[in-house]
Amino acid sequence: MLSLIVFLPIIAGLVILAVPSSQKQIIRIVSLLAALAQGVLAVLIWKGYNPALPGITAGPGGSPLGSFQFVEKVPWISLHLGGFGSLNIEYFLGVDGISVTMVILTALVSAIGVLSSWTIQKQVKGYFILYNLLASAMMGCFVALDFFLFYVFWEIMLLPMYFLIGIWGGPNREYAAIKFFLYTLFGSVFMLLVMIALYFSVLDPVTGNHTFSLVAMATQSNYIKDAILGPDNVMWRYVAFIVLFIGFAIKVPMFPFHTWLPDAHVEAPTPISVILAGVLLKLGTYGMIRINFPLFPEVFHASMYVIGIFGAINIIYGALCALAQQDLKKMVAYSSISHMGYVLLGLSAGNSEGMVGALYQMFNHGTITAMLFLLVGVIYDRAHTRQIDKFGGLASYMPVYAAVVTVAWFASLGLPGLSGFISEALVFVGAFSSPTTRYIAMVSVLGIVFGAAYLLWSLQRMFLGTRKADAAYDLQIGTDGHEHIHFHDWKGKIDLDGRELAMLVPLLLITLFLGIYPMPVLGMLTSSINKLVQVLSPVVMSQM
Amino acid sequence: MHSLIQLSIVVLLLPLLSFVILIFFNRRLPRRGDFIGLGILGTAFGISAYIFWSVIVQAYDPAFRIAWDFTWIDLGNVPGVGPLQIKMGVVIDNLTAIMLAMVTLISLLVHLYSTGYMAGDKNYGRYFAFLGIFTFSMLGIVLSDNLFSIYIFWELVGLSSYLLIGFFFEKDSAADAQKKAFLANRVGDIGMWLGILILYSQFHTFSFEQIYANLAAGNFGLSNAWLTAAGILLFMGCVGKSAQFPLHVWLPDAMEGPTPVSALIHAATMVAAGVYFVARIFIMLTPDALHVIAFIGACTAFMAATIAITQNDIKRVLAYSTVSQLGYMVLGLGVGAYSAALFHLVTHAFFKACLFLGSGAIIHAMHHEQDMRWMGGLRKHMPWTFATFTLATLALAGLPLTSGFLSKDAILAGAIGFAKVEGGGIYYLIPVLGFFSAMLTAFYMGRQIWLVFFGDSRTHLKPADTSHQAHHAHDTHATHADAHHSTHAVHEVSWNMRAPLVILAALSIYAVYSPDPLDGAKGWFMKMIPTPATVVGAANPQKGALLTSNAPLHLASVVPSSETAAPALAATPVAAEHAVATAEHGEAKGGHIYSDPRQAEIVHAGHAAHFTAIYISSIMVALGIIMAFVVYVFKIIDPEKTARLIRPLYLFSLNKWYWDEIYDATVIKGSMALAKMLSWFDAKVVDGMVNGVALLVKKFAFLNDSFDKHVVDGMVNFTAFTVNTTGAVLRKLQTGKVQTYVVMLLLAVFGYFIFYFTRLIY
Repeated sequence: MLSLIVFLPIIAGLVILAVPSSQKQIIRIVSLLAALAQGVLAVLIWKGYNPALPGITAGPGGSPLGSFQFVEKVPWISLHLGGFGSLNIEYFLGVDGISVTMVILTALVSAIGVLSSWTIQKQVKGYFILYNLLASAMMGCFVALDFFLFYVFWEIMLLPMYFLIGIWGGPNREYAAIKFFLYTLFGSVFMLLVMIALYFSVLDPVTGNHTFSLVAMATQSNYIKDAILGPDNVMWRYVAFIVLFIGFAIKVPMFPFHTWLPDAHVEAPTPISVILAGVLLKLGTYGMIRINFPLFPEVFHASMYVIGIFGAINIIYGALCALAQQDLKKMVAYSSISHMGYVLLGLSAGNSEGMVGALYQMFNHGTITAMLFLLVGVIYDRAHTRQIDKFGGLASYMPVYAAVVTVAWFASLGLPGLSGFISEALVFVGAFSSPTTRYIAMVSVLGIVFGAAYLLWSLQRMFLGTRKADAAYDLQIGTDGHEHIHFHDWKGKIDLDGRELAMLVPLLLITLFLGIYPMPVLGMLTSSINKLVQVLSPVVMSQM
Repeated sequence: MHSLIQLSIVVLLLPLLSFVILIFFNRRLPRRGDFIGLGILGTAFGISAYIFWSVIVQAYDPAFRIAWDFTWIDLGNVPGVGPLQIKMGVVIDNLTAIMLAMVTLISLLVHLYSTGYMAGDKNYGRYFAFLGIFTFSMLGIVLSDNLFSIYIFWELVGLSSYLLIGFFFEKDSAADAQKKAFLANRVGDIGMWLGILILYSQFHTFSFEQIYANLAAGNFGLSNAWLTAAGILLFMGCVGKSAQFPLHVWLPDAMEGPTPVSALIHAATMVAAGVYFVARIFIMLTPDALHVIAFIGACTAFMAATIAITQNDIKRVLAYSTVSQLGYMVLGLGVGAYSAALFHLVTHAFFKACLFLGSGAIIHAMHHEQDMRWMGGLRKHMPWTFATFTLATLALAGLPLTSGFLSKDAILAGAIGFAKVEGGGIYYLIPVLGFFSAMLTAFYMGRQIWLVFFGDSRTHLKPADTSHQAHHAHDTHATHADAHHSTHAVHEVSWNMRAPLVILAALSIYAVYSPDPLDGAKGWFMKMIPTPATVVGAANPQKGALLTSNAPLHLASVVPSSETAAPALAATPVAAEHAVATAEHGEAKGGHIYSDPRQAEIVHAGHAAHFTAIYISSIMVALGIIMAFVVYVFKIIDPEKTARLIRPLYLFSLNKWYWDEIYDATVIKGSMALAKMLSWFDAKVVDGMVNGVALLVKKFAFLNDSFDKHVVDGMVNFTAFTVNTTGAVLRKLQTGKVQTYVVMLLLAVFGYFIFYFTRLIY
């Protein structure tokens, strides 16, 4: 099941390879079918998932597979290295509450991304092959339970992203693509080192061999006492935690490692921005939850307030930077930074409310920000500019677009009734309840006001009032005597067309539904998070 | 589930249904579906009236409280806490029953009125949809049984207010006003949210009942300062929503919305939600928090009244008067005059809605003229509006025989009592500001009545250019507004706008609330909504715990007294039981005993001050009216000359104490400057470092390259060179001549001998 959902897009990519590049429509349809099939599989996984099983770790005396579900485990690479013993890498997939929500999100955003890619005209074949490779790699990251396999997917992801931005991007695309590539690679080099160190520090309790299994690594009793990352080696465990954290923090992106994001977003084509913000950023925080924290719980515990402070900086700094942007897409990019700050803040609380909130925020940010970038793409397609001041009064001429933007914007600023509110509220509830992060939470609430400020201000400048003198569109009196809007060289529908609605309406409905009734997602999270909190709590650690 | 609960949920959801139908289908429905909104609100009011009847009239029980909740979010078995759920639910008690009826009634009347006022607007259907979501959110606040759901509906009310203020969104002023309202409210909301978080972090629940039970049991883990902070922070929500100083600036601007909206949201219901919320949390407010609340209320009442006297826009005068009256309510809660404050909430809702709808009728009839300087003489043309507007004005000014007199007097009496109990001094500032504001209220309302209804029409005096501007500003939403500007066209409004005025004016008469025109405490409202006993008694927390263990929270307060009964007696279970038993027939005496001595003293002193308050406030109101007459009717004092005489004061009032300018210069400019600075910092410093590192690496790579070329490769080449040179030199020796070899051989032998002998010698 999991292998299928991971490799479906790659299979589609291989099919596309056989299709002549002139058959653009077939290429698109093959990709869409793969994405839809992935969606069906995601729904099946969601249906078949048993939320009572926590996952996270095998636990002392538990099954070596832990209570992960849909597990697939076969030996993959097995090398005998003489004195070093043997190198055992497994093809080990499985999901628990933390990853199953991300699997669903990935399937959803990938499908929306395919629809959004429909308008790509340049080298369609190459584009979709890379796109499908990217979709596979992302999915693989979320279901891999072998650190080596995770690393492989993590690195594979970089390559298509680099080309997708570097070839199909905006005017400054090469700079942005290289920046993105090098920055992430910089982080993953550390990850590689920590991974190897971990391999030599952990023994599989069943086979007695060294292992890359994340499930085994999450149980502290599996560590060799005097190994480099064993429990006695406090200093190296701190170093490993910090460099691993930086590797993931770059992806989040956490201040001060965030500057690749606005550049990448501004240059990336709309569907890639959607994927980037919707899924890729989540891999950073997912990596922290899956690898960083449970493997080094005592270091996590010691550094909670530091993570919290960085979360607060992200929230407020991101929001203030967003307030100053003139380019709508850059504003949305900074809003992503601000919203990922809530995830960090929730994680730093270290309690169930905060962590559930953080995970839920990851899901909601995926859907809401995907919507925001799609909406930015809609206006950019028509007006060929994203300067906020080049509009004004659009609500009168594009009422459906304005209505959707209003709902999406309010979802982003955390209006109750829409999903973002619940996750932000839980994050604050958690962060405030933990004495460590209480004061950080008190400062972070300022983000609520600044968030509202930049969103409402941009809404006003673009949609309310009347047309500005130097607007990027003209007004013409139509045959019916009313004023109509006219964009230069835009032949399509002025207001949202069918394809755009097909992308936006599902996201809107999900946002609304999960804002009123969050349990379908939260229900899958809670038992895993409660287990994780237990694993991370100092009481449990002292018993080890 | 209790049948009343079921009905209340139906009431709550009906307006939401109206919103959903109208937002999607209004263009396909006849009359844009306004009848759907009206019909649904009529049904909602009917059900609410039934609830009111059942709870208040039919079988009044002072401790009536039914609640129902369901698990909304289940967080499972949380480590360290145990099973944890976040619940949503509704609660009905006496206060809720009254509020439900009030909100649905005013909403219904505003719906009816709007069918006339908004007729012909291009977004007519959307307007009714927005009214629907507003009513839904407001009812949600009223019915919530926990802090979390109150916060949710609180924000939704903010959203509907945002949508309705900016209903004429083509106007920049409307777009500015809606943004300002939302942001000012959010500032208040973050305070409220932090207050909620303080309570949650201690008890892991949002439910009012559980929080109060825990507080009463003394389970609050943090220091008392945190509890005071929680109270003040929660009150910040009220400061935002009820437009209290210093966040009041949004409300006057909110008048950009359609006038019926101003009546419903920005006068009668939403702005009162803040007061309602403080009433809900009243029993957990510490004395220190209450002092803050009282002072904020008094400042607001006074400040807004001083601003109202110089405003020229008919709606702005009413807006500042709303701020001022909300200040009274907050002041009332702060001084502990709980019943009086809520009483004022209800009476104010009716007469202020009447005033706003009346001003809407005037604006409608005057073809969207809002400036009172160009009105006058409307008494003859609009008799119905004149009569109802005047009645509501009398209530607002607090003249006897009106509802406003009863409630305002009760608040002021409470304020005097409070000042006495707290030991006078600075605390007397609160009643003094209250009485002074009463005088100002009478003055500015007298001014308004005179300018609008009496004298001759001044339409022709209006400067031409402003006329054009005003006309232009309004023609976007009123297609029929292009009729000529003259009093000939002024006529009374149609029945659907008149009926609400009459009903609301009727509800401003004293008899609705109390048989005694001079004492609201004898009326049903103040008897039925008594001050609840605090759960954070400053003197002795144990007492509270004892009491609540013997009687339900709301019951604990309803304890009759005689003058001689010592407050402390009530603390014993016997006294409490006795008190409950005699509660029903003891009420007529007025005055209650409270477990908390401070509360008890304040209530006693408030009752003692009843007639003092009446005398002083009557004198002040009379003074205000006389001044209005002197200035505007007899024209003994020329207002313009006076304005010139005290120009700085006049400008200070006209420019609303310069709050907008102050905020613009500090908070707004400050945030924008900070945002710009951080954006620069981000692009130049943070990203600069990234690019700098990249550049450094690149430089290093080039350096490395040249090192490679010159040093590493140089060494390789040098080796080759050395070999080469040595070879070339050595080659010279290989001459092939025997003589050369012999000479070299001899030289070698000779050299060896020299070496050998030197070693022998030394």
